[in-house]
Amino acid sequence: MDPQKSNRLATGVILCFAAIVSLIVLSLVLYLLATGLPHVSWHFLTSAASSFTAGGGIRDQLFNSFYLVILTLLVSVPLSLGAAIYLSEYAPKNRLTSILRLAIEVLSSLPSVVVGLFGYLVFVLQWKMDFSLLAGALALTIINLPLLTRSCETALSQVPFLQRQAGLGLGMAKWRVTTRIMVPAALPGIMTGAILSAGRIFGEAAALIYTAGQSSINVSYSNWNPFSPTSFLNPMRPAETLAVHIWKLNTEGLVPDATAVSAGAAAVLIIAILAFNLLARFVGGLVAKHFRQ
Amino acid sequence: MEDNIALELKDVSVAYGAEPTVRNVSMKFKKNQISALIGASGSGKSTLLRSINRMNDGLATVTGQILFHDVDINRPKVNVYKVRQEIGMVFQQPTPFPMSIYENVIYGLRLTGEKDRRVLDQRVEESLKHAALWDEVKDRLKASALSLSGGQQQRLCIARTLATKPEIILMDEPTSALDPISTTQIEATMMELKKDYTIIIVTHNMQQASRASDWTAFMHQGNLIEFNQTTEIFMNPHEQATNDYLNGKFG
Amino acid sequence: MSDWEKRLTGPSKETNQERVGRVLTTLSITVIGLLVATILIFLASKGLSLFIKYGVNIWDFVSGTDWSPKKGSYGALPMIVTSFGVTMLAGIVALPLALMVALAVTEILPPAFRKVTQPVIELLVGIPSVVYGFVGLTVIIPILRQWFGGTGFGMLAATVVLFLMIVPTMVSMTIDTLLAVPESYRMASKGLGATRWQTIYRTILPSAAGGVLTAMIFGMARAFGEALAVQMVIGNASIMPTSLMSSAATLTSVLTTGIGNTVMGTAANDALWSLALVLLVMSLIFNLAMRLVNRNKEG
Repeated sequence: MDPQKSNRLATGVILCFAAIVSLIVLSLVLYLLATGLPHVSWHFLTSAASSFTAGGGIRDQLFNSFYLVILTLLVSVPLSLGAAIYLSEYAPKNRLTSILRLAIEVLSSLPSVVVGLFGYLVFVLQWKMDFSLLAGALALTIINLPLLTRSCETALSQVPFLQRQAGLGLGMAKWRVTTRIMVPAALPGIMTGAILSAGRIFGEAAALIYTAGQSSINVSYSNWNPFSPTSFLNPMRPAETLAVHIWKLNTEGLVPDATAVSAGAAAVLIIAILAFNLLARFVGGLVAKHFRQ
Repeated sequence: MEDNIALELKDVSVAYGAEPTVRNVSMKFKKNQISALIGASGSGKSTLLRSINRMNDGLATVTGQILFHDVDINRPKVNVYKVRQEIGMVFQQPTPFPMSIYENVIYGLRLTGEKDRRVLDQRVEESLKHAALWDEVKDRLKASALSLSGGQQQRLCIARTLATKPEIILMDEPTSALDPISTTQIEATMMELKKDYTIIIVTHNMQQASRASDWTAFMHQGNLIEFNQTTEIFMNPHEQATNDYLNGKFG
Repeated sequence: MSDWEKRLTGPSKETNQERVGRVLTTLSITVIGLLVATILIFLASKGLSLFIKYGVNIWDFVSGTDWSPKKGSYGALPMIVTSFGVTMLAGIVALPLALMVALAVTEILPPAFRKVTQPVIELLVGIPSVVYGFVGLTVIIPILRQWFGGTGFGMLAATVVLFLMIVPTMVSMTIDTLLAVPESYRMASKGLGATRWQTIYRTILPSAAGGVLTAMIFGMARAFGEALAVQMVIGNASIMPTSLMSSAATLTSVLTTGIGNTVMGTAANDALWSLALVLLVMSLIFNLAMRLVNRNKEG
């Protein structure tokens, strides 16, 4: 065939299929938003879920999702940052280091249902945490660690090498150079990584159904004592998240408006993910500005 | 150790892998003098300089003795952080930290735990004056160090090194990233500094070595070929290799 | 000992700092290392106890087709076949389509278009899998029911859901690969008089092949390990699938439903751990495959 003709044909075919795929995927998302958003109201966001009757909200699930993300970041950010600093600053070039890197790689390839299972056995049963936010946060930490360690390491490696040398040349300990110069300079990058990982664990469900649990007890939002069993801050209480709620409603839900509630919850979930992405982009923009100076 | 000697290298070799980059260098650096290390790229001059204040720790194996006040500082037992405070270093490119001019200068000083405002203020003024930067920045000490020009940034880095009161200052091609005017200013600064400090400078610029240094060492393929007074090296080199290098036969 | 000897060998604040740093960071990496070791040991010992403690034959487990743990029958083949079936189908369908979308974005449409597509793709990549499962329940299954009859639940529904889930990730990774092809290749090819299509299939695709393949394996690994989205639409019948429209169960979906229904320490429960072990081994194999492809790409 004449090259001009085949070029036109191939271009047409590629564009056509690309358009079809994009249309299908995008229309599904738009469909979700279109069916879900009308259901999202102030009442929906601020009232408790109902077990048998229609008209339940997602207040507790929404709060649990955010709270779980915060708890997870509290555990996983220091741990990942420490590991990243070790790998980029202290790790000798030997077999043990490559084994550790491989271990992190292995961790990133674990299916989340397997992580959930491990969390159930170890955190929930053996460590007697029961179904709790803490057990859920630990399970999510396992999922979060590899990605976050990698992004912290990348952020640290983007700090100009000369800055580190200048610090060492002044007689500063490596650790001080790291904490005073490297980490502050890499902070926007580290934050971008943390926010993106937050978006990812915000929607995680498989690792949570047997760790954080599938039920929400009645909690008081005015009780700020995290050790009180009825406090919303108590990390030892079982907590169903938004994503788990959607799954639960659709597999064993008894409420008559399960589809509507799920659609509303899914819309909220998508908007939250979008917000996480935009925030990461914004902070990422600060990084670019920071290094342009 | 003789009184007029600031630093002595005895049989120093440096190896990154199996093959040494610097071989059995022995030399004495005189106090309050500027000594230049010259040689083609890859001759080992920068590697040698970095070994002096232990910047090659963890990167290369350095053998031999580096004597500073009769103490061999090339031993694991020696506190490298203190060594680096006594033997400061200025790098090829200006490396200001992303903070104010003032904070940059006192950065090293803070490590020693100095908190007294008056001492800090005084040291900032002193160091910036020494580095010939005071008049240009005295009205904007709180401004970001990144707002300075390249030449000013490099003089700020010199001031930052001076603030910890080292005895020796190592300069690794300090003007290679600067324009001719800034280069001249830095060289003038060095002339002033040698009254109080011993300076060892690595340079790829032969004119700079002949203009600014009292002593010149020529290195070739990891070996120290010749070390003598600068006028002697440039006017009357004893070795054929030195002569060839100075006449541009390689390099 | 001279003053200078003392001064230069004594400890200082900085040596302390260094010790703190070394301890803290070593601790972090040790925690992670131990965590991985614990997970692997736990899964291996729990996963193997069905064969060791209860004497079930490994071959029967892998090749048996009857999965009824309560009756002592542990044939996992149906789940293994279903897991591979839906993963392969989704990956094979997604590969060319993701490639075409990526080509359209990087090679055909104007570069300004990328400013719009990138955030959209990022959003799609971030959408949680339960949402895709929900879409499967409310949109895909009714359509399948209308077209093919039956309940709509089954392997086809799972394949479609997995396809939707992995396509954005694969597109995103493929775009990155295509953008990494040096611009000079395109220039050189065009300079020789090649058309856009000739440039694509003679120059760009060969040099991006490794990355495209990595994207597919990555997508398939995600699909293989996905639990809830699949469990929501596949019908959850642990039997050998007879057609794409028949209800089935994957390794992950059996795990999801089984854990709540078995008692810890029983053979039925340990059988689930054996499934988890199979899942882990497969994930590691996917990971290994990606490394091999990447190594070849570099070599």
